[in-house]
Amino acid sequence: MRRPWVIAFVAVTTVAIALVPVFGSAVLIQYGINALIFATLAQSWNIIGGYTGYASFGNSVFFGLGAYGTAIAMTQFGLPFWAGLPLGALLGVLCALLLGLPVLRLRGHYFAIATLGLSLAVAAILSNLEIAGANIGLILPLTRADGMFFELALALLVACVLCVWWISRSRFGMGLIAIREDEDAAAAMGINTTLYKTAALMLAALFTSIAGGIYAYWITFIDPASAFDPTLNVRMVIMAMFGGPGTVLGPVAGALVLSAVYEVLANWISTAAALLFGLVIVLSVIFMPRGLFALIGGIRRHGPGYLLQNVRQHRL
Amino acid sequence: MLLAQIIVNGLLLGGLYGLMALGMALVWGVLNIVNLAHGAFIMLGGYAVYFLFSELGIDPFLALPLAMAAMFVFGYLLQLLVLNQIVRSAMLNTLLITFGLDVVLTYLAQLLFTADFRTIAPSYAGANFTFLGVTVPGIRLAAFAVAWLLAGIMWLVLSRLPLGRAIRATAQNLTAARLYGVNPRQLYAVTFGIGAALAGASGGLYGMIGHLSPYIGVPLTAQSFVIAVIGGLDNPFSVILAGLVIGMAESLAALYLGPTYANVISFGLLVVILVLRPARALRSA
Amino acid sequence: MKRFFAMLAALPILLAAASVAAIADDDVITLGASVQSTGSQANTGRYYVDAYKLAVDTINAKGGVKVGDKAYKLALKLYDNQSDVGLSVRQYVRLITADKVNFLLGPFASNYALDDSSVAEKYQIPMVQGGGASGQIYARGYKYIFGTLPPAGDYYASTIEMMGKLDPKPVRVALVAADDSFDVSVAKGTRAQLKSAGYELVADEKYAENNADFSSILSIIKSKAPDVILWSGHETEALNFIRQMKSLDVNPKGFYAFTVGVPTADFRKALGKDANYAFGMSSWLPEPQLADPWFGNAADFAKLYQEKYGYEPDYHAASAVADVETFAVAIANAGSLDPQKVRDAIAAVSFDSLYAHIKYGENGQIVLPQVVIQIQEDKVVPIYAADFLNKPEYPVPAWGARK
Repeated sequence: MRRPWVIAFVAVTTVAIALVPVFGSAVLIQYGINALIFATLAQSWNIIGGYTGYASFGNSVFFGLGAYGTAIAMTQFGLPFWAGLPLGALLGVLCALLLGLPVLRLRGHYFAIATLGLSLAVAAILSNLEIAGANIGLILPLTRADGMFFELALALLVACVLCVWWISRSRFGMGLIAIREDEDAAAAMGINTTLYKTAALMLAALFTSIAGGIYAYWITFIDPASAFDPTLNVRMVIMAMFGGPGTVLGPVAGALVLSAVYEVLANWISTAAALLFGLVIVLSVIFMPRGLFALIGGIRRHGPGYLLQNVRQHRL
Repeated sequence: MLLAQIIVNGLLLGGLYGLMALGMALVWGVLNIVNLAHGAFIMLGGYAVYFLFSELGIDPFLALPLAMAAMFVFGYLLQLLVLNQIVRSAMLNTLLITFGLDVVLTYLAQLLFTADFRTIAPSYAGANFTFLGVTVPGIRLAAFAVAWLLAGIMWLVLSRLPLGRAIRATAQNLTAARLYGVNPRQLYAVTFGIGAALAGASGGLYGMIGHLSPYIGVPLTAQSFVIAVIGGLDNPFSVILAGLVIGMAESLAALYLGPTYANVISFGLLVVILVLRPARALRSA
Repeated sequence: MKRFFAMLAALPILLAAASVAAIADDDVITLGASVQSTGSQANTGRYYVDAYKLAVDTINAKGGVKVGDKAYKLALKLYDNQSDVGLSVRQYVRLITADKVNFLLGPFASNYALDDSSVAEKYQIPMVQGGGASGQIYARGYKYIFGTLPPAGDYYASTIEMMGKLDPKPVRVALVAADDSFDVSVAKGTRAQLKSAGYELVADEKYAENNADFSSILSIIKSKAPDVILWSGHETEALNFIRQMKSLDVNPKGFYAFTVGVPTADFRKALGKDANYAFGMSSWLPEPQLADPWFGNAADFAKLYQEKYGYEPDYHAASAVADVETFAVAIANAGSLDPQKVRDAIAAVSFDSLYAHIKYGENGQIVLPQVVIQIQEDKVVPIYAADFLNKPEYPVPAWGARK
């Protein structure tokens, strides 16, 4: 990201997006809030999955804890949103610290499964807790402030992108990449892998749980099924992978593009949307397994034959 | 006595769970593919038995092998044409692509079969007998027996038949297996087909105990997933045993904690076992 | 690279263009809804889609809706929310702001109605929904949500009343309910009513929704030897419960009843003979006594629906029709399309429809008694509503003793 015009472009786009609540339609704002939240989820996944190489399949646990933390603070203790949100974030980060430590000892497949299991277990526990409204969930106070939610989600995304950008240029980030490429070698070189991995997970948890808190207040109603929705994990991972994991802007681009695709399909073709979306996923994994940016770069360099080359590289 | 009944319930339920997980464990252990569409295969197998029973009047237990054959072909083609294309890319990609497949298959099922629920209801569906004060539902006992039978057949195939040896060799070292003349594309397809056939069998049995709809897949995938991990991917019998463990745990939890804790137990056990089993944990992806 | 970024920037602009309002037709009143046409709730969602369409077509055929001295036609704008609550909320926002529909109809199921009604309240557009019964929907003090399904807490009221008049009178009751909003409301209300009527609650079990296995609960219940089992949950679970009841040989001495499933045709079809003797309830039956300004009466409606769509309607469909009719009546009464005025008209409405006499309570929810029904020889027979309508097959024979 050294070319100045890229930075300028990003800055201009951000300002343009920030102006959407002023000039855009209500539908666009709704779509925007959703897309921005997903972009944050994909980008924070990028920290633990893309840079550190620990592909978590359970980040939804942080999203859910953030949502519930905020909701419980607001509905059971009467606190305002600005107090509830940090509490939700605290819950998410604590979870990353306490449960992350044992789970981060696992690698590859098993880490992914353990995180997924964790997310489902926490959801099941919450559905039994009265303070969380058991399986019925909680109803938050209604506000009509979509513009505020939009700017909040955008601010969160910007913060997350800046964090990832910092990671990409810092020693911490180099350490994460080293862990991703060869964890044993990294440890041998003196990197405290446990510290780095846990810090990465906590950072991912921080942004994800704040996103959860914003979501809870925006949608005014959460229950275990929606807050800990397991398909959230798949969607954030697909968005990050689609855009290109381990890059600064990849997951954001992936999230915005895929959200747009999904929204357009859902509203114009309606019923077949799920089918088409599934097909999009299947095709993109086959033809662009390293993401959109890699695909664009590849086609630029090798022409359309690049698509088949991808298949040839990864097929049996 | 209630406790005895609960224990028997758990064992019988666990048998079916184990059978469901068997196919997933095989595919995962050999092909390194975590098939998130596994539940959809169970569902499709169930529908196959349903149609064989309701349209052609074939007894469901006799229809099981037919449905398994159909699912084998389906799985074989799916692996050969689609999954083989991505097998060597990052493991995460297999999760994503099978997720996409699950979405597609569920949607197609809804289109073909509508959202109406079906039951496979032969005349003996509710039959039961009582033994020492415990009521044993007939179909569940049969499912339990089928689970052990199929696990036994799988074990025989894997340890005695040349096909089984080829499968195990490929699982351990693909390059070496190739050097010995194994055709990996075929072999992968056959293995995946077997996994699909096993899923289909469990679907047919499930349809006799519960109901079938295009949407039953996802919770079954989750359950199979938990059991496959706990049982380990090497030995079919240990998968069934893991199923029994989970079945028992859920039943006992329902009695002592409340039925809403079943998921807490299954997923909690999954995480705990993963974290406490260092040998498994250190095996890299 | 540049071209790619240009494409990326173009996307939101395309979306903005796409969200431009649909062209509004001058003498059409558009009702919008996001319903489950696909996904796990599509099985019941289709009753709403089909019923809305039939109601709109029938009302239009009979002259539409008169506002002042101008005749308007009704139109529908329906989205498929694919059984995804989040999508359903966004679709309601789109209906209001992009499609600029005049008024809103509802989805199926309480948790959808709960979320979607927040949108109606935010934008102050009246929504009349016939898919959610949970008390939570109406406990928030919202002014723009109305509903034609009676309060969940009262669902078993008629059944409990009937129990008092049965001979032999049941004493021990087992209650089983799912843990979602609707069923928790049912359980709460039922528990209170059982207590004040003096029944002994020997088992009170809660299960996680989407649970397919009831063997533990059934074994626990069997060990308590109840006279009556009262069950609340979703249709697919009711189906599993009955099958597993049979295979575990669980026989309450008196009867067993369900809040859903029993009135619905494909529930009975899927169970075949196993459905017999089951008690259930319906806020509606296709009786000729229920007169309707557009359809003649409920029996005629049922016949028309069956002819057009190939399957029998149940209370979901009738409730959906009542929602459309509510708007037709309220708009005509208000003499205007202004959302506030129509909202007030709905709150004051009182008319007879094929579903029931439509009058909404203070909080927006209709109050209707449930009719206790029983499946006898594959047919739904109304048994009790304030008094016995037909003879119940009671006590219910044990599974092994049935023909």
